[in-house]
Amino acid sequence: MTEFRMRHRAKRSILFLFLALFALAQIFPLLWVASYSLQKSGDLFGPELIKFPTNPVWNNYVRAWTDGKIPQYLSNTLLVVIPSVALSTVLSFSIAYAYTRMKWKLRPLAWFIITIGLTIPIHTTLLPNFIWYNSFHLINTHLGLIISYVAFSISFNAIIFSGLLSGLPYSMEESAFLDGARYPRILVSIIAPMTATGFATVGVQTFLNHWNEFIMANTYLISEAKRTLPFSIIRFQGQYSADYAVQFACMTLVALPPLVLYFAFNRWIVAGITAGAVKG
Amino acid sequence: MRSAFSNKKIIALLTLPSVAIIIFAIIAPLVVSIYFSFMEWAGFGAATFVGWENYRQLLSHDTTFYRSLSNTFALILVTIFLQNPVAFIVAAILTKLKDTASRTLRTIYFIPATLSLVVVTKLWTNIYNPSYGFLNKILASLGFGGVSIAWLSDPRTALGSVIWIMIWQGFGWALLFYYAGLMTVPKELEEAAIVDGANRLQLYTRIVLPYMVPVIQSVIVIDVISSLKQMEMVFLSTEGGPGDLTQFIAVYLYQKAFRYSEYGYGNTISVIFVILAVTLTLVIQWAFKERDHGIKRRLR
Repeated sequence: MTEFRMRHRAKRSILFLFLALFALAQIFPLLWVASYSLQKSGDLFGPELIKFPTNPVWNNYVRAWTDGKIPQYLSNTLLVVIPSVALSTVLSFSIAYAYTRMKWKLRPLAWFIITIGLTIPIHTTLLPNFIWYNSFHLINTHLGLIISYVAFSISFNAIIFSGLLSGLPYSMEESAFLDGARYPRILVSIIAPMTATGFATVGVQTFLNHWNEFIMANTYLISEAKRTLPFSIIRFQGQYSADYAVQFACMTLVALPPLVLYFAFNRWIVAGITAGAVKG
Repeated sequence: MRSAFSNKKIIALLTLPSVAIIIFAIIAPLVVSIYFSFMEWAGFGAATFVGWENYRQLLSHDTTFYRSLSNTFALILVTIFLQNPVAFIVAAILTKLKDTASRTLRTIYFIPATLSLVVVTKLWTNIYNPSYGFLNKILASLGFGGVSIAWLSDPRTALGSVIWIMIWQGFGWALLFYYAGLMTVPKELEEAAIVDGANRLQLYTRIVLPYMVPVIQSVIVIDVISSLKQMEMVFLSTEGGPGDLTQFIAVYLYQKAFRYSEYGYGNTISVIFVILAVTLTLVIQWAFKERDHGIKRRLR
């Protein structure tokens, strides 16, 4: 009996070691960069495998904040992300409602157009949009970027909403009609509150995606003054390339907001992803 | 009341903005791309119509294009045969843990997936750095002090190093999908199998795996599509080099247009890329549907 229990315990600890090693592998690069972001750049070249910041150089963060122009990039990011998340959420809810609950002839065609965004790679729109957007003076504007972000996020978001909406009983609307309620009102005060979880999932997920987006911003935004947060990291490659510690501080600063958001809204993010996988 | 559900004005109001924005930002550019794929244009001056010349060049002479396809294929293989099984096993272990332990670990495993591609790529290019990177310091501490590997520019390690960044960030996703799938396996099914004398291996190969087939299929579809769409990590680390060893199709079309000023040719790659993505999606989904029917027929 004791031998059995010991073997059982040994097996369990090996299992835990295995899982812990994986956890370490998943966060180590982040910890490594965060730790050297608080040291002098020269410390990186020391012989030791890893060195902990015993005398934290907080000034690296001050310099990352100012030299990385973080306030400017941050406000640009917010100028793009807040409208794009709001628009994408409202539009995908609307189309998902019309698709799942209402009766109309062009329904399949409209849904086909909506889901196209899942298959067409973003990258194939980069070259033509450079010309196409330019003819509408949308190149180097935040509006152009917002339009692309919304277009590519509607598909997935509409699928999440349609999953939730198709589960609601039709009596919801029917009794409202009988009470004399009309459409915009029914959507706003009855249906939307019933899909509050969908709004949370879609909102957080879209925010993270658009906050992190790089290649469209890199293509459509040309002037320094318009660019978004990821460029604060790219900036250091040129003239500040030897200042590793400040670069690392900048990376940590940029990585922090999504991480905080992730820890705060973990549940909604996971719900959204799982919904996507189950639907295929 | 029936008519309330088919109120044309409301339907138009709910539908048209989304449809319009997708036509404007996704479908119209595709048409523009098809137009320019038949042109030779440097991005300035006059464009000349060259017919199918760009396509002929791309499909019969462009070795870099085929290199980028084979790299995508390599990534798909590594994802499906290495990352996915590991993610499946870790997910299976997690389902057996206590709630708090499982949740904590899942939260940690998913951290890389929430970071931006720029941050992830820059984290790893620093880890890979030949002079101060962590990887070479490990080598030194193991006694290979004289060996300094330039992970991202050495032809022997470049592709592997880039693919590693990709599957590292993708691990959290695969794990989450499999964990969610495994949680839906009915407990009675497992219990019945154990009562019938199945050992743990049999339980997984005979009961759990067959039950998980639809989830595995969904994950494989996502794997293939997202492998095809890889771009930013290469763009920000190796830029396809050394030579074209780490080239991926989306990076290639971008460089053709914006670095080598072959805008028309870049659009030709774009068009082929769309065709590839659409066909591949349709083919996998069709293949899986066929298989599903096959399984159902056999069960009947």
